[in-house]
Amino acid sequence: MLSRTAENLFWSARYIERADSLARLLEVGYRISLIPNTERGYTNEWESILETSGIKNEYLKKYKTISKEKIIFFILFDLENSSSVKNCIKVARENIRMVRTAVTLEVWNAVNSSYHELDKNLKDTRNILKELPEIIEWIKKQVNLIRGTILNTQLINDGYDFLILGTYFERADFTARIINVKYFILLPSINYVGGDIDNFQWSLMLRSISSFRAFKWAYGGQEITYTKIIDFLILNMTCPRSLIFSIEKINHHLGRLSKFYKQTSTSQKKIGLMYKNIKNLSATKITDIGLHEFLKSFIEEINFVYKKFEQKYFFGSET
Amino acid sequence: MKIKITHSTTYKYSSMVPRLIQCLKLYPSVCDNQEIIEWNTSSSCGKILESHTDALGHRIQNIFINNFRGQLKITSKGILKTKDLSGVVKGLKEKVNPLCFLRETDLTKPCKNIERISIQAKKNNKNQIEFAHELNLIVSDSIIYESGSTTTSTSSKDALMQKKGVCQDFAHILISVARFNKLPARYVNGFLLEETISGENTTHAWVEIFINNLGWVAFDPSHKKCIDDKYIRISTGFDFEDASIIKGVKNNYNGNEYLNTKVDIQNCQ
Amino acid sequence: MYNEVYKNLKVRKFYNQIYDWAKSLPENVIVKKKNEAENLFKKIGITFSVYNNFDSTERLIPFDMFPRIISSTEWKKIKRGVIQRALAVNAFLNDIYNSGEIIKAKLIPENLIYKNPAYEIKMIGFKVPKRIYSPIIGSDIVRINEKNFKVLEDNCRTPSGVSYMIENREIMMRMFPELFEKLKIETVENYPNYLLDTLKSLAPKKCNKEPKVVILTPGSLNSAYYEHSFLADLMGVELVQGNDLFVDESITYMKTTRGPEKVDIIYRRIDDKFIDPITFDSSSLIGIPGLFDSYKSGNVNICSAPGSGIADDKAIYSYIPEIIKFYLGEEPILENVKTWRCCEEDAKKYVLNNLNKLVVKEVHGSGGYGLLIGSKSSKKEIEIFRKKILANPSNYIAQPILELSSVPIFDKKKLSPRHVDLRPFCLVGADKTKLVDGGLTRVALNQGSLVVNSSQGGGVKDTWILNE
Repeated sequence: MLSRTAENLFWSARYIERADSLARLLEVGYRISLIPNTERGYTNEWESILETSGIKNEYLKKYKTISKEKIIFFILFDLENSSSVKNCIKVARENIRMVRTAVTLEVWNAVNSSYHELDKNLKDTRNILKELPEIIEWIKKQVNLIRGTILNTQLINDGYDFLILGTYFERADFTARIINVKYFILLPSINYVGGDIDNFQWSLMLRSISSFRAFKWAYGGQEITYTKIIDFLILNMTCPRSLIFSIEKINHHLGRLSKFYKQTSTSQKKIGLMYKNIKNLSATKITDIGLHEFLKSFIEEINFVYKKFEQKYFFGSET
Repeated sequence: MKIKITHSTTYKYSSMVPRLIQCLKLYPSVCDNQEIIEWNTSSSCGKILESHTDALGHRIQNIFINNFRGQLKITSKGILKTKDLSGVVKGLKEKVNPLCFLRETDLTKPCKNIERISIQAKKNNKNQIEFAHELNLIVSDSIIYESGSTTTSTSSKDALMQKKGVCQDFAHILISVARFNKLPARYVNGFLLEETISGENTTHAWVEIFINNLGWVAFDPSHKKCIDDKYIRISTGFDFEDASIIKGVKNNYNGNEYLNTKVDIQNCQ
Repeated sequence: MYNEVYKNLKVRKFYNQIYDWAKSLPENVIVKKKNEAENLFKKIGITFSVYNNFDSTERLIPFDMFPRIISSTEWKKIKRGVIQRALAVNAFLNDIYNSGEIIKAKLIPENLIYKNPAYEIKMIGFKVPKRIYSPIIGSDIVRINEKNFKVLEDNCRTPSGVSYMIENREIMMRMFPELFEKLKIETVENYPNYLLDTLKSLAPKKCNKEPKVVILTPGSLNSAYYEHSFLADLMGVELVQGNDLFVDESITYMKTTRGPEKVDIIYRRIDDKFIDPITFDSSSLIGIPGLFDSYKSGNVNICSAPGSGIADDKAIYSYIPEIIKFYLGEEPILENVKTWRCCEEDAKKYVLNNLNKLVVKEVHGSGGYGLLIGSKSSKKEIEIFRKKILANPSNYIAQPILELSSVPIFDKKKLSPRHVDLRPFCLVGADKTKLVDGGLTRVALNQGSLVVNSSQGGGVKDTWILNE
């Protein structure tokens, strides 16, 4: 397969996952805006949404002040925001279009029609807040449709691996970031680490990754605790948004590529190591290391894996 | 005359260059005007690979380097024995019909000022070679030499407008006006042995004009004369861009490139 | 004007069945079938993501269902004539880039070759693989009368339109299978295989295994991108862009997920000047640095060869009959259109006196640039051209305004004649020259119009060569 083809497949899946993550983040924002809260807490929450999606600087450059309407617009529609949902879907479609014959007609139609319905459904409305739930629903539906079509119609060949890898590199990155951002905001002082936490904030976070109910099922209807959350978001193999789940997937698909091409790669060796390490971890061990320290090195390592992966398969310049 | 030359070009890159290709036309022309006693080109990094000899007689060499960091120095050194053939370039090994050098290029497109020079030169009816000399004289006076006054993309038209330039601009103007008068003309890169105030040398550029019965005759409009045994011919082409002695391409590279050329030319009699 | 269907108000023999069929179609069926054809086009277009309901980077070229029929006798002559020209053109290119015999023999003025920017001096003396410079030639042919087909132009660089030839047939076969049962029609579906065979036969010197062929496209914004992806798909080869290839130590590779893979033959659909920023236009972003060096080292073949364009230059066109005689020792089978070269004094005089009756074309150019159609131009436009010709006569040629033959189209619901031309695609390989029995018929959809270009109201038809 041409490197460019692999790259286009990878990024189209990655951008679709990103659109999904953004929709879920906005869902949290929407919930907050319905719940009476102190003015400060509210601002914090929107700010953390910007931070999690990695666009705070871009936003502040354009708008200067934190306003929920502006943030929603910026995240959903703003074409100047390279990571807006609109741009994500647009870029995903452009990437697929470049390699049109590498995906099935069904996948192409799913991506293409999402793109074309985008303008209809993601219209810039005056009452943005009121229409938000509907818009979020629509985005999630499109993403599920595209992903389902990929799973059901694509040949399970190397192209498929690149599509799946795009999804999980994005998801691992996003989950790590959302925990990291929450960590800073909720636990500003070292004394609080491991102590009591704000139940409400953490439950919001679970919702943002669509795992609130899943969490309840996994840990019973008991109180949300710090260790449980760490366990769930980082170490629980049954949670599709946990870090270990993404790592397992990346490990699996990089392994498949190595087998398929009969070549070993640095990225595969490294992700294998990461997977082995994370399997042997426990929530207590993470607390001992320090959650922030753990996340910091996790993000560094996954970036390293990505760099090597990109060099080998996209640039043909692994050194 | 025996002339010793050292020419080195140093490239520095601000970050890693994934793929670097340098294409060299650095081998002195094989012709009766100059005899190559020794010549060697080396590179601080990467192998120099022989490619092919093109239709103009250039021996083309290439350097391919992957994932390059730092500094690359390409050095050519050698000794040549030259002859003064009154400007006529003899014994060139080339396959290109001179008429090809009547084509215009972006850097040498005719303009109003070229027409003016041409009219001035036509005043007294002369034969081809006298006319070519006349053109050379007029072009020599058409602009003032000022180092650094133009760039690599300055055309003959631009240089005439601002009335100053360097050897490259003199050459482009002479080429434009010669072609405008249906005389095939081309750009030549090489070296000139001369005393400079700073004591430093540079590469030089002049022009060859095709004269029936004589063949290619080399004029140096920045020195108002024909070439003699102080000139070493390296490469030729339609214009500066086409004739350049080193062409580099960096693929997928966004960093900066710093370039430094050093030339040393000595009479070794 | 020659009507291909009627002769003295009677339908010609080989059009009989089609004509009866067309007449028998009820109006509502015509409308229905038209929609069906459009939908089929879109479906194929969508396969390559070119067309969809909301935007199209390329306009859907209108398709007309009434087929253009050429009898086997007529076709035999066209075929022989086109192949003859294709062989002559390649011999000509080989000559002018090597010994230049035709110039020495004074059959073509040397100025016309050497001053021509399409004559690439970097190709001089280079032995291209198998001496084939232009393996794919699309000749534009017009019919003047019962007996006479004339060649208007030979496109030797990267002729396009072949995808429509294949697609038009596909659509007709799906919509009217019964017609293909009744009439014996030569097939065109082998074209992609022939093209691949032709390209593979042109492997470079240093290729000693099964040659790897790729198609090089400028990218998805190019107007012929659809055709590039269509051909790549049907040939089963990679469609690459400049950035997918790289040259290391004079060998050309393609970047793949398995690592670098050596490429042997590049069917390039980009212009000469963009091929390699080192050798040609240094500002080219779609080229491959070092490709020309790889080519000259015998590691890769570039099809068509850089510098092939000189052969379809409009100034050279008028010499094609001489070129055929000189290299093949044969009389031309297909005639040229009468051409006045303004560089010749008498011709210039005639042209300037008859500008309103002529088509004046700029040489060294391709496509519709610098074109004057005398009968369709204002006095002012004609005067502008007069000045241009006087200033630089050798830059212009002139031809009579041709009365193209006509074939009916389904205009709304009934048949109505329109002007057509024909572009067959000739493939010149190392030892075989092939021409599939078919071609692209372009039709001027506006009544009376002689312009068949798709950008100016042209459409396409399926072209049937009868197997009698």
